[in-house]
Amino acid sequence: MKLWHSYRGAEEEALEKSAALFEQQTGEKVDLLAIPNDVLGDKLTAAIPHGVGPDVFIFNHERLRSFQHLGIVTASDGSIDKSAYFANAVDALSVDGKTYGYPLSLKCLALYFNTRLVPRPPADTTELERLLPGLSRPDENRFGLAYETGNFYFHAPFLFGFGGDLFDAGGRATFDTKGMVRSLEYVKRLQDSRFIPMETSGALVKSLFNDERAAMVVSGPWFAGEIAPSVKYGVAQLPRNSETGRPMSPFLGVEAAFVSPRSAQLPQAQALARFLSVGAASRLRAVTGRQVPANAAAYEDSAVQEDSLISSFRQAAANATPMPNTLEMARVWEPMKLALRAVLQGGVAPAEAGALADRRYRALHRERPPDASPVPYLAVGALALVAGGAYLARKPRALLPFRRRYPDVARAAVYTGPAVAGLLVLVAVPFVVGISLSLFHHEAGSYSFVGLANFADILASRGYRISEPLSFYFTLVVTVAWTLVNVVLHVGLGLFLAILLKEPLLKLRGVFRVLLIVPWAVPNYITALMWKGLFHRQFGAINGFLVLLGLEPVSWFTRFSTSFAANVATNTWLGFPFMMVVALGALQSIPQDLYEAAEVDGASKWVQFRRITLPLLRPALLPAVILGSVWTFNMFNIIYLVSGGEPGGSTDILVSEAYRWAFQRNEQYGFAAAYSVLIFFVLLGWSTVTKRVTRATDELMG
Amino acid sequence: MPPAREPPVSEVVLTGIQKSFGANPIVKGVDLRVAQGEFLVLVGPSGCGKTTLLRLIAGLETIDAGELTIGGRRVNDLPPRERDVAMVFQSYALYPHMSVRENLAFGLALRKMPKAEIDARVAEAASLLELSGLLERKPKALSGGQRQRVAMGRAIVRRPKLFLFDEPLSNLDTALRVQMRGELARLHRKLATTMIYVTHDQVEAMTLATRVAVFNAGVLQQVGAPLALYDRPGNRFVAGFLGSPAMNFLDVRREGASLAGKGFALAVPDGLPPNEGPELLVGLRPQDLVVGSAGPLQGQVEAVERLGFDGYAYLSSPAGPVAARFDKGTNVAVGDSVRVSPVRDAVHAFTADGSRALRHPFESVAREAAS
Repeated sequence: MKLWHSYRGAEEEALEKSAALFEQQTGEKVDLLAIPNDVLGDKLTAAIPHGVGPDVFIFNHERLRSFQHLGIVTASDGSIDKSAYFANAVDALSVDGKTYGYPLSLKCLALYFNTRLVPRPPADTTELERLLPGLSRPDENRFGLAYETGNFYFHAPFLFGFGGDLFDAGGRATFDTKGMVRSLEYVKRLQDSRFIPMETSGALVKSLFNDERAAMVVSGPWFAGEIAPSVKYGVAQLPRNSETGRPMSPFLGVEAAFVSPRSAQLPQAQALARFLSVGAASRLRAVTGRQVPANAAAYEDSAVQEDSLISSFRQAAANATPMPNTLEMARVWEPMKLALRAVLQGGVAPAEAGALADRRYRALHRERPPDASPVPYLAVGALALVAGGAYLARKPRALLPFRRRYPDVARAAVYTGPAVAGLLVLVAVPFVVGISLSLFHHEAGSYSFVGLANFADILASRGYRISEPLSFYFTLVVTVAWTLVNVVLHVGLGLFLAILLKEPLLKLRGVFRVLLIVPWAVPNYITALMWKGLFHRQFGAINGFLVLLGLEPVSWFTRFSTSFAANVATNTWLGFPFMMVVALGALQSIPQDLYEAAEVDGASKWVQFRRITLPLLRPALLPAVILGSVWTFNMFNIIYLVSGGEPGGSTDILVSEAYRWAFQRNEQYGFAAAYSVLIFFVLLGWSTVTKRVTRATDELMG
Repeated sequence: MPPAREPPVSEVVLTGIQKSFGANPIVKGVDLRVAQGEFLVLVGPSGCGKTTLLRLIAGLETIDAGELTIGGRRVNDLPPRERDVAMVFQSYALYPHMSVRENLAFGLALRKMPKAEIDARVAEAASLLELSGLLERKPKALSGGQRQRVAMGRAIVRRPKLFLFDEPLSNLDTALRVQMRGELARLHRKLATTMIYVTHDQVEAMTLATRVAVFNAGVLQQVGAPLALYDRPGNRFVAGFLGSPAMNFLDVRREGASLAGKGFALAVPDGLPPNEGPELLVGLRPQDLVVGSAGPLQGQVEAVERLGFDGYAYLSSPAGPVAARFDKGTNVAVGDSVRVSPVRDAVHAFTADGSRALRHPFESVAREAAS
């Protein structure tokens, strides 16, 4: 039997031991295959329908509904003993009244506390609020509590603690609720009192806790591995909300063993999956893998009981809310993130955030366009092929017999083969697939042909006004501005430095030259992350410098202008060395005696620069500028990593917006592909213009 | 008391000019006066400092010591554009992105000259240099000679006080060089502006110059009219540099009435100061030595150059290598043993180290003719 999973390290070891046990007891052979987590889901949906998938696979329950929809999971009713597990773990595995798979382990958030600073964890929010002022020293960057404030996964316990609901009775997401407002008001107050840090990322939480600058942290089991050995800590469940009396209930994630309906040995596969979820296997999971078992009996083992991390998370999991396995859940993240950040950055009042999220939700939630008939499109495609063929055939050379036109075609094919193959695989295939994809709508693993509906929606800006960041036109304007500002700065700075470096009197010229090229040599995502850190509201060096000068620190990512500027600063840092190198080469190719002749002719240094240097640099700089503009136009990394589109997606450029439609907004691949096709047309137009300019320059130079 | 004489506007005076690059002295204290309207040719072997001297005058290099005046004004510290000089570069240094017209007008436009006048001057220079049909072309589309003329035109339109030429003809082929030499001479006659011209080519120096300044190792050797330098070189260097093939030099010792060298003896010529010597250096131009069957010098023919009307034989003699002229009719072949005799009174004499000339030839002949 084949079993696919994505475990590594100790978790994999525990699984191997369990599988060996199963083999001993039943004589059935189990083949384990570890597949990286981010591709496992797609592998499963691709392989199982074709009968080449595993018999059993281990996966998070969040995609269960999509799996069920695609028919790649078998119900476990009749085989599963629901009372053996925590009830909410079994709930998480139910779709339309049926249960699928066997729950293995649980993941949820709990409260880590530094035992030196917090001897006893707070049981409710009243205690928490009593503790926080004594633990927080904003002037020393010390905080009572830290968690990823901008991430809805971490905000959910506050929402549920205030009795908020995410979905209405019909299963549709709702944001404009009382619980939402109160929870947002609550965390906003925590931040305004400086009990929690601003703009918190996972890396920041980790370093704050390890430096003992954060007394408490909200995080999951994975965080235990990141804590420095010197920090003594305990884990407790999140405190109860004193106002409502409800627990601050985090989302519960359940890892489960699912059985494929295509398995040739269904009963044995069910047996294996069940075996892995209970008894010795579940104890191994806890003791060896240090995972939190979903099987209640595992906690009777003394070794499991003594592991305080596992028993703490078990308590936390008991109060957790199973993450809905519905498609609707996938649509909640972006609107919630938008609302959360807008409130925390102070742009929107908590009372209005729900409406904001709701608007974004509606904008992102595109109804499936009506199916279109592919016939007209195929006809147009066929017509284009015929027309192309006819055009070629009209050329007289094309009428010659093939052998006479290309006498040595075999040898030519050998030489050009690798390049042609590379172009086909890397350019032609993605191009055709991308264009075709743009004519489809994707929903929950199935595609439907919709013709040009995606383009129509984008170009008509359907669902949002043109002035909203979600609109194609808004993003296009931002993208053009982004490209323009960057290229001007790259060329300006690059040229300026090249002229300085060319100065033969400059000492240590070689050293400077190497140093100035360094930004180019560092992988750009690393640079982007460093700049992101520099621009941090509380811990960034740039604000530190501003404070040193007696200025107010700037909250860089809360306003379009500063956020845009942060992106530009980062990209300028990355982009000027290329222009500098090109300009330096071009400068050195200008004969010195031209300057001497101009000098004798009466030209000042400035006139020499304007009349000699600039015109002679033009032929070398122009291609670099064109290349640079295309790179910048599609500079995904900087936008995604530095501003992340904030505030509210307004600093996103076309390519990052396309990415979000594909991977963050309910997998709208077709819509994202349509974005990409439009980007292609914009750049095609741009290259036509630049080609003309280049040709004009060539003529200019004679 | 006569009124103080105003120095002519473009007289150039160099006083004790020095220039070093790092620890390398390149120009070692040059004193030179270039008169108004003069065509002075600075000539010397490669690396002698002549181009550096020109660039010092143009202002493209800074003067380490000494004083430079142009038209009576000290210009040591003035940038090139304020010296009112025009320079033609060896590489021409035409602006490649500008048409011929723009190249010519560049310096004028910078001086904010009215457009009409610029056009007039460009047209004038273009017709003078036969560039009228090429004004809209880019330098890339011109031949070498045409580029050369544009470079010249760019200097002319400015109507500067002083023209500086840095080996302007060295990139041209022989025929063009001869033609351009003629045009340059014509130009100088027409413009009558002071010109300083650097070359390593003695033919250019001889044909163009009002006066020639011979330069070697950063030191000015001698200044004078071309033929005066040829006839009366002040030292061995000048004597050897001007004239082709180069002058023959023979070490001799004064012994009574004769000058004895290795394997030969010459009569002591008239006018040789008696108190000099006894070790001396004798200089004989190849043109003044005739190959024949008789004569004081004997040698083996190593090479023969027949130039048509006459030719030169290169001999190895006990006294060293010797070049000598022969007439068209003379039979000379490599390997022959021949004798060579100087024409009457052809002897240059120098101190043994060659630093000073003691006697020049033909002066007694000239005196006789005069008397």
